[in-house]
Amino acid sequence: MSVATIALSKVMRLPTLLRRDAMSYAIFALTLVLVASPIAFLVLGSFSSAKIPGDLVFSGLSFSNYRAVWADPSLPQILYNTLFYAVGATTIGVVVAIALAWLVERTDIRCKTLIYAAVPLTLAMPGLLQAMAWVLLMSPRIGFVNQALREGAGFQEPVFNIYSMQAMILIEGLRLVPTAFLMLVPLMRSMDPMLEEAASTCGANAISALRKVTLRLMLPGVLAITIYQFITAIEAFEIPGIIGMPAGVLVFSTKIYLLLIQTSSLPVYGQANALAMLYLVIALVGMYFYGRAVSHSERYSIITGKGYRPQLIRLGRWRYLATVLTWAYIVVAVIMPVTVLAYVSFLPTLRLPSMATFGVFTLDNYREILESPFIATIVTNTVIMSVVTATATAVLSFAIAMVVVRSRFWGRRVLDQLAFAPSAIPGMVLALAFLWVFLQVDKAVPGVFGTIWSIAIAFTVAFLPYGTRTMNAAILQVHRDLEEAAYASGSRQWRVMQRIFFPLMVPALIGVWVWTILHAARIIGIPLLLYEGTKNQVLAVLMWNMWEQGQLPAVAAIGTLLTMVLLAITLGMRIIGFGRNLDKS
Amino acid sequence: MIEVRNLQVRYQSSQGLVHAVQGVSFTVGTGQFYTLLGPSGCGKTTTLRCIAGLETPQEGEIVIDGEVVYSSAKRLVVPTYRRDIGMVFQSYAIWPHMTVYENVAFPLHESRTRMPRTVIRDKVRRALELVHLGGLENRPAPFLSGGQQQRLALARAIVREPKVLLLDEPLSNLDAKLRESMRFELRALIKRLGITTVYVTHDQLEALTMSDRVSVMNLGRIAQESSPFEIYRRPNDRFVANFIGLANFLEARVSHPANASGLGEATTSVATLKCILPNNAAVGETVVLVVRPEDITLASSQDRSQGNQLQGKVVSAVFLGDALDVRVSVGDSVLQVKLHPSSAISEGDVILLEFPADRCLALVS
Repeated sequence: MSVATIALSKVMRLPTLLRRDAMSYAIFALTLVLVASPIAFLVLGSFSSAKIPGDLVFSGLSFSNYRAVWADPSLPQILYNTLFYAVGATTIGVVVAIALAWLVERTDIRCKTLIYAAVPLTLAMPGLLQAMAWVLLMSPRIGFVNQALREGAGFQEPVFNIYSMQAMILIEGLRLVPTAFLMLVPLMRSMDPMLEEAASTCGANAISALRKVTLRLMLPGVLAITIYQFITAIEAFEIPGIIGMPAGVLVFSTKIYLLLIQTSSLPVYGQANALAMLYLVIALVGMYFYGRAVSHSERYSIITGKGYRPQLIRLGRWRYLATVLTWAYIVVAVIMPVTVLAYVSFLPTLRLPSMATFGVFTLDNYREILESPFIATIVTNTVIMSVVTATATAVLSFAIAMVVVRSRFWGRRVLDQLAFAPSAIPGMVLALAFLWVFLQVDKAVPGVFGTIWSIAIAFTVAFLPYGTRTMNAAILQVHRDLEEAAYASGSRQWRVMQRIFFPLMVPALIGVWVWTILHAARIIGIPLLLYEGTKNQVLAVLMWNMWEQGQLPAVAAIGTLLTMVLLAITLGMRIIGFGRNLDKS
Repeated sequence: MIEVRNLQVRYQSSQGLVHAVQGVSFTVGTGQFYTLLGPSGCGKTTTLRCIAGLETPQEGEIVIDGEVVYSSAKRLVVPTYRRDIGMVFQSYAIWPHMTVYENVAFPLHESRTRMPRTVIRDKVRRALELVHLGGLENRPAPFLSGGQQQRLALARAIVREPKVLLLDEPLSNLDAKLRESMRFELRALIKRLGITTVYVTHDQLEALTMSDRVSVMNLGRIAQESSPFEIYRRPNDRFVANFIGLANFLEARVSHPANASGLGEATTSVATLKCILPNNAAVGETVVLVVRPEDITLASSQDRSQGNQLQGKVVSAVFLGDALDVRVSVGDSVLQVKLHPSSAISEGDVILLEFPADRCLALVS
């Protein structure tokens, strides 16, 4: 027995250790290449004076791009626009979200389940389509609302003008609400009402308990959420692209895009990079404050309560007003954009809704889409790109999280930081950086640039921060005891992995996978910059191009179908997710 | 059944090298209920995990049922899954993705010889009935209460009838009432099954009431190993006396060596006391006298032939329901005394205390 055991134990231990260490090095190297190379080329490119990225040489580095960017008289305006846009949208988004979260969590407002379900629904509709829907509603010339007011109420001038900073802020603000809402609800729920009750026993009335205890305790959390939303608004491209560019209201993301796509002259890659560096610095400053706010709010983490339900505040006659305002939000932010898009998708040409229009309703747009081999190729591209991105993100995030959480690898902290770094890079900057990477790679290995694989690689890096955060948390939740209990039950390592660890990880893996699919299918920035023709065109780019060509009913039909699919996936996940939550409680 | 010899465990932590276990040796007889007792960080759980094979020591030898499962000299480590053990974790470690039945059946499915389904079903049912969880087979594990999870963890540990049962603070997550009843239930069950058991706890009451033998551990070493009675009555040193039960400590100097029955005399700052004295204690040597609060009574007369008497002034008297906790200042020290609750004593009284010579233990420092 013992001789056999010696052999066995030796055979088992050494190679496992070696293999594990080699794996850690491999994962580290892969992450380093994926994350560091775009950043490196972004920086290098900003100093490159060559006309095209492919001609990048070290001897040709200079500050000329920075000088050109600084000399551009529109720079202060862009800086101001970006900040004004982000501050305005964040204010609207967070205020509305706080009001909604407070109403459903702490008051006796009606139809809570419906509000919980309806608010996040906006997330299923890609920002690109939301922007388009708002143009269809509020554009001075073709906007349905303006047309109706002109014809019905006799207004000479259009009442609303979508092509303005105010409108952009309002729409971006509405888009920020669901994420802020989803972050605020658990924050409010984790507040131990006993802290508030303790204030009451000290003689504080309901309002002053709310003001002096609840709000004070929530402040760091709310601050972190606000900064997070601010970064999201700074990085946004969809609404500035669809609404701001035609209006001539440029922010950083759209300015960089225009530098590359301008029709009047050759694209100025180097200047785009130099501008992106400035943009990156602003985002990094935001991330720095976000990190500080988060660590500050974690100091209050003792407030996580035991799930007592607090006393609900009676709204009294305000209840009706609150209900009406809540539904007004849901109608404006969720129902109207979806409806207008669906409506247009059934029209041969744009026209106001009336009894007569229902007579010309047609399925031609859908028929054309479904019968077009060109669109079939693009749908295939999108599906392959999304699935590959999601799989790569889930697998790589899991591998990184295993090293970070479970190994004693010396570089695990650095690896963690590395995987989180892309979260500080605005989408348009990351797209530009990867454009440089693939143009360099193309010199050595032709065939990657201009494929859906290049988009999948860039997306994987973009989603790595989300993936690794989720997987880190999931692995931390699987207590070592659960595995050790299996060893003590007589299981070998691979059996423990197979029967205990992996089944417990499946929900997190599926969660990351589906989340990534939902996001890869709708984000426009990265595929738009890496787009090189039909071969790597995806749906978001197709809709962008068709919109520019004015094929509005066709875009609406594609958008309606895409929204339905995304909605179905979201709802499916939610139902499965609810089932799992029921298991746990 | 279990032999642990000169176990050494060291590991690197953020605070530097930690010597968690420093030369621990003990033997557990077949069917014995053996408890490792000590404060947190004393190395008791580490020792248990070494027996389970969940941690690998740097030095020493561990033998389970005649089979060497770890030996630093022979460079041999038997992996956990090849050791014939069952283990209950402090957190219970119930697998949340399995039902009650699947949790208990798991060790049987992992056995090296394939078991027929009917045998497995039989064994699982018997194990669940033993812990009074019969009928809950199909319930998802997270739907159990704390007490039920604890019993499920026990059922899982005993289902394959291991030679050795390892328990890591299994009762510490239960509420006080349940803990008390589980103490007796658990010991009765283990005794009925006759499994050799190593039990880790920081609760002296669990150790005293459940064990056949107790090892008190401190700073990675065994401070004393004895029966529960001996541990309480004859602690080896101040740490053990202080950790188990309550104790008064009096500084004293040996004034009369031990006689044939082990009794001698020592002089404190206020009185000369008869006490149990080690044979090697020489006259003039400094000792610490240990007296338990419940061994001290009110003297009925000035007759000192029964043992020791001390006069003191009552500093405080607190009614505890089943006893009266009295602090008495004697010379420059304060004695804690546990008197009958009906004793008519109040603050400021001067009283005469009495305790027998064989309840006063001298420890050579």
